[in-house]
This record gives sequence, structure tokens and C-alpha cells, in this order.
Amino acid sequence: MKNTIFTRRDFLKLGAALAASASLPAEMASVFAAGLEKMANLTRIVWLQGQSCSGDSISLLNSIDPEPADLLTRYISLVLHQNIGAAQGDVFMETLDKTSQTGDFILAIEGSIPLNMAKACVIGGRPFEQILLDLIPKAKAVVAIGTCATFGGIPAAEGNPTGSGSVQDFMKKHNLPWQNKLVNCTSCPVHPDAIVGTFAYIAAKGYPQVDPELLTPKMFYSNSTHDNCPRYHYYERKIFAKHFGDPAGCLFKLGCLGPLTHTECPNRQWNSGVNWCIRSAAPCIGCSSPNFAKKKDFPFYRIGEQSHEVNYTETQRKGV
Amino acid sequence: MANTVTISPLTRIEGHLAIHTETEAIADSKKVKITEARCEGEMFRGIETILQGRDPLDAQQITQRICGVCPISHGMASLMAQEMAYGVAPAKNGRLAQNLILGANYLQSHILHFYHLSALDFVDIKAILKYNGADTTLKSLRAWVENAVSSNSVFPAAPFLPRYEVNQYVPGDQENWRLISNYLKALKMRSVAHEMCAVFAAKMPHSTSLVPTGVTGEITLERILSYKSRLDKLTEFIETVYLPDLILAAKAFPDYWNIGASYGNYLSFGNFRMEEKVGPDVQKFFPAGALINGKLESVDTNKIREYVGNSHYSSPSGLHPYEGQTTPSPEKGYSWLKAPRYDGAPMEVGPLARVMVAYQTRGYEWLKKEVDETLASAGVKLEQLNSVLGRHLTRGLEAKWVGKQLYAWLSELEIGSPAAKEFSIPQTGKGFGLVEAPRGALGHWLTIENHKIKNYQCVVPTTWNCSARDDKGQPGIVEKALEDTVIEDPKQPIEAGRIVRSFDPCIACAVH
Repeated sequence: MKNTIFTRRDFLKLGAALAASASLPAEMASVFAAGLEKMANLTRIVWLQGQSCSGDSISLLNSIDPEPADLLTRYISLVLHQNIGAAQGDVFMETLDKTSQTGDFILAIEGSIPLNMAKACVIGGRPFEQILLDLIPKAKAVVAIGTCATFGGIPAAEGNPTGSGSVQDFMKKHNLPWQNKLVNCTSCPVHPDAIVGTFAYIAAKGYPQVDPELLTPKMFYSNSTHDNCPRYHYYERKIFAKHFGDPAGCLFKLGCLGPLTHTECPNRQWNSGVNWCIRSAAPCIGCSSPNFAKKKDFPFYRIGEQSHEVNYTETQRKGV
Repeated sequence: MANTVTISPLTRIEGHLAIHTETEAIADSKKVKITEARCEGEMFRGIETILQGRDPLDAQQITQRICGVCPISHGMASLMAQEMAYGVAPAKNGRLAQNLILGANYLQSHILHFYHLSALDFVDIKAILKYNGADTTLKSLRAWVENAVSSNSVFPAAPFLPRYEVNQYVPGDQENWRLISNYLKALKMRSVAHEMCAVFAAKMPHSTSLVPTGVTGEITLERILSYKSRLDKLTEFIETVYLPDLILAAKAFPDYWNIGASYGNYLSFGNFRMEEKVGPDVQKFFPAGALINGKLESVDTNKIREYVGNSHYSSPSGLHPYEGQTTPSPEKGYSWLKAPRYDGAPMEVGPLARVMVAYQTRGYEWLKKEVDETLASAGVKLEQLNSVLGRHLTRGLEAKWVGKQLYAWLSELEIGSPAAKEFSIPQTGKGFGLVEAPRGALGHWLTIENHKIKNYQCVVPTTWNCSARDDKGQPGIVEKALEDTVIEDPKQPIEAGRIVRSFDPCIACAVH
């Protein structure tokens, strides 16, 4: 099917926009452009939510290049989505089954999966685990969206009652091959560019280059937030912010986890670039990290560390 | 013999919900009438349990992640509970910035709810195939749908199709084209509202700048202008697009002034702090109140209890949130939602409840006047606000009022003054924070021991609205609202979907 709505020039322009905001190499622009063009013709996305807050879906709707309306009506065929799709009830479940029979789709999974309590996530009367067991083998790629899906996140934090785990945990549990199939688009929520860019890359080129351990696509998660931090000069000079709202100083002693965090936040920023955490003097809470929120004795902030026991050293918070 | 009508899953809300109803046949037709309904929440994470033993400051980050649609409301409830426990009041700039973030997220959430969650129950998306005008967006949308249909795509025009194929959408091509065009515009406008939030919240969803007493970011002229230029666009959109579209929908579906009534009891915790104080008595822009059997009383949080007799929990039923427990027992009961009750009564929460409470509160003559004028022009009575259209309409009016008030708070910001204060976490402490999320009354109850969280409980808007039956068997608000609804086609119960969506449910919130 030929795309009659957009010209090649449109795709090139958007591809360049996706690549430029992260200063990715020039050839990435053409890859993204080709991907967006292919997505418009071919790519079906089945997007399902497990133990999720829908924050990643909302973040997807904050996409700027392309804008959400164009994204939905020109670039992707969002076959199923619990928040915005018209399908409900039996129509939803019939579409789910038809998708499974037809194949040829990218499966996007938002939220974690309750591995020890099937009833803690059910869609249309079916346990989420059962739905995934059916769909994952038929998907041409599986994209875990957001930190709950990539690493378990808050639902999988210490003391959780449902035995919650990531998509990779689920695939390992059921001996589903995840190599060259699963991509982890992490952070809480995920950045819209990382979702759209990853879908585009998969459509154009197939499985992207990923971190061998974390399975995060290198094009979006290679740089340490700390290394590109606009307050890095304070860190070098050992000038530290003393309290929340301190306009000057490195935020490390308030709890900033920038050194342990790999994102494009300093370059891409958030919400059309109006702001991001450090620009608002808010310590990075490491929302893209495999350890995000996992341990009770590793709090986000360091204000309380004088009064109660914590389980880290300053060196651990700095990384190596 | 009783038959059943089911929507499972009920989508275009936040989260995992199923509706199961018992029905009786209506003579000489294939129509049925709902006699009894059950709301089943189908996803559980155990956030309250996860919070136990953690640093109290973690709570405002973790509870924001209860919900990606209204994280700010949870963040605010948590901050206010912490401020009460720490014995510290907000900085003036901090309070104002928090109101500006929360208010911008109201606009985001209300626009999302009307257009992207609810509208596909009313708009005939297929009308685009007949579009013959000159609007380029609509022309390319038509081309997209035509392409998909003519190429025999397995899933043409997803996610707008497939849908319930009933003869119950807005009549008139022009009207549908306008609504479809505005659906697309609204996608952009809701993300602009998120940009407004981010100006002070650092990022959305899930703000990192929120802290007890205020926000971490500086108040600068650049930020004020950045926020204001976007607010100008939003208020124009609300007045010239959103409200007229609401009226269009109301005119096309007048029956819905009489469909979806619940008990008519309303609860509001009040919202947007107007002074730098903590605790339940702080003055707010929207007033707190409990309206039971038409009688308004001030809110007494000691009257709040959560019942679990029909819910998937084995912990004791009927506990006050300070003592609340959340022990899962998946095979017991029929929903992951608990059943909160106020003085034993199910209470509706949300924009309708806020308006009904304010309508009877002294000092809100401006609101009463505007509601009366709107009712008069629609030709309906105050009681008819207890309906599907009443909930949509009060939500739209509220978006307008909040938008207007945001200018006032913006002008009160003091450039260069601190937006947060210093505080410390006490060894022991207790506090609760009451706010209004876009979809209704939200409270967090926090107990601190040895500088850490001993207990944390959230009583959430959709828990009030979509609750399971309580221990006395009283149906929840939505369960009650579904009763007596006539369904044209039992296999495609679009009427039930419209009723449930009018409450703007969020199940990730409601269960947490």
C-alpha cells in the first residue's frame, strides 16, 4: 500500500527532528525517516497495559515530532490501546484474538506483570500472563515501555505483594527467547522520542543496537545524565546545594542520582523542551535505572539519612 | 430468567475495569433494562504496602506513580500529609506554583476525558468518509481512512475502529466533522497543558520538582511568561471549542440529562490552597463539604471508613484510613477496589460533586449564578445535573473557572522569592492530605515511626465512585448509576459505557 498522504520530504523532516534533539549522527535522521515512512504503511502496534499507571501512554501523547494527531493517524496503526482505542468489551477481545491470528505486529507492553498473583492483572476476564503467552511468540518485536515493563519498577519494589516482574522476567520465566526480540525503552515515564524513535528504527532496520545487559537501545540511553549535567561545573568545584530550591550547587548531596542514570534528559529535555528535572533544581531520582525505587533503604532523597539507617555509601551513589 | 450485559474490558478510561450487569427483558423489543450492576477493578499493585518502612519523602514520588493521568493530585495529597506530619507550612511561591501545576493538570485531564476518552461514544468517526470541505487535516484524515478501507486492511482506521456499530452517534455530517477536527486539536491542546505543568513541575507525567512546602525550581519571569502564553491558548480553546462542543453533544443526546443518576450524595475535600497553612481547615478555592440527602455539612474525616466485604482483601473491614490495611486475597470478593463510605453512605465525587457542594456554600454566588444560567439555557433543572450530561457539563465549566483562576495565581507569584522552605523529618508523626483530583476527592493518611513510614493509606476518587458493594450490600456509586438503564442492543451496551465514562474512572488510582 502506497502512502498517499505524506511525501518523502515530510518523512525526512521528521526523521531529522527526531535525531537532532539528541545530537545523534546524521545518518540516524535518514533511518528514522525511512522508519516513519514504513510505519505509516505497515507497522501495527499492539499496546497493552499490565500493572501500569498509563503514564507512558500519556507521555506518548506528548510527542512533538510527530505531533500526536499525526502519530495516530499517519505513522502508526495503533491496533489496540486500552486508553484511547474505540474498541471495548467483546469488540476489544475479538480484535485481540484477530491480532494474534494475523501476526505481523510490534507488541508494546506498558507496566509490569504479576508473576505470583495472576488475578492481580486481568483484561477482559483473561489473566494478563495468558494474553502475553499468546501474543509474544507472534510479535516481530516486543518493546517494553517504561520502567515497570523494563525492570519491574515500583510494583516490583521490595515488599511488593504480587511478585511483580519485568517483561524480561516474564519471558525468562516462560522460556520465551528474548534475545534480538525484546527492547527496553526505560524511564518513568518513557520519553516520547524514545518510543517513536524505537518503533521507527524497528520498522526500518529491525532490532536496534542495545546495551547487552539492560537491552536499552543505545541511540537513546548511552549517556550518563551526570556527564551532560548543566550543574556539572558545581560538582567539579565541590559546591553542593544545601536544601530544596537552592538555585546554586550540584544536587548530589540532596540525593541526585544523575551519575547512575543513563538518559537523554539533558539534551532532549521534557514536554517539548520546556523543562526537565535538573533545570528545575530537582534531583534526578534515577527513574530509568534497573534499581529505580527498588530498595526501602535506598531513598530518593538524602535529607533523612542523618536520622535513619540507609544502605549505601557515597561512592555507590556516585557510581564508578 | 435474568440475562446479563457485560463490558469487559471497559476501555477508554484509565486502567482495568469490567462491568457485569443483570438485566430484565423489555416486552416486545430486544431492549433490556439493567436491574443490578457490578464494577470489577482488575489490577492490583499494593503501593501502600510497598511504602511501609520507606523514607516518608519517597511517598510523594511513589504515590505520583499510582496514576499517570493525575500524578500531581497524589503528589499534592502526599505533600500535604507530610507537611502536617512535619509541622511545616508551604512557602507562598511554593503554594502558588503547586496550584498552577495542579490546575494545569485539571485542564489536561478534563480535555483528555471529554475528547479522547468519551467522545468516541458519541462521534461518528465514519462520517469522515463523506467529508467534502477544504480543511487539510480532515482531508488527509479522510484519505487515511479511505486508504485503510480500500486496501482491505485487517484493522482499518485503528484505534478509532472497530467500535460498537450502533445507530446512536451524533446525527449530521457537519457536526461530526467539527467534533473529529476538534478531537485532533484537543490532542495538541492537552499536551500544551502538560507543558504548562512542566514549567513548574520539571516534567510530566510524574513531577520531580514537587517537595513539601513548595517546588524546587526558581520562580522566574521567563517561566511565568512561558506558562501564561500557553494558558492563553488553553483558555481560548476551552471557551471557543470545548464548551461549545459539550453543548453540541448535550443537544444531540438530551435523554442523557435523565440517564445515569446515582444516589445524589456528594463529597468534596476542597481544592487549591488559598493560604500558607496546613491541615484540614485551610481555606481553598473550591470548598469542602458533604452533601447528604440534600443537606450540606462540613467534612469530618473521622466518618470515613473503607469496607472490604466484597473486595479481594482479607484485612479487617470498616477501618479508618489511619488504621487501614491492605492484605490481598484474590479469590475473595469480586473487585480489587475497596468500598469507602462516609458515615456509612456511598458518596459521589468529582466535578459534579464539587459543583453541588459549592452551589450550596456561602460565598460561591458567582458559581451558583453561572450554573443557573447554564441550566436555564439548556432548559434543565438542577436535579438533572445528577446525570451523564451533568457530569460532562460541570467538568467543562470547571475547566473554564480553573483556567481563569490560574491567571490570578500567576500574578501573585513573587519573582526571586523562595518557592520552598527547609524542613526535617520527625521521629514520629501523623498527617493527612486532602485534595481534589480532576476526578474527585483524594486523601492520603501517613503515620511516621522512627523517621520512616509506618502506615500509608490512600482513599481515592474512583474508589468512591466505582467501589464494590460494602458489607451491608449497598452498591457503589457507578453500580447504582447503571441500575434501570435501558440498553438497546444487549451485545453492544454503549449506554452503559457512556454512564461509566461520565465519572472519568481511573482504576490504577482506585486500587493502587
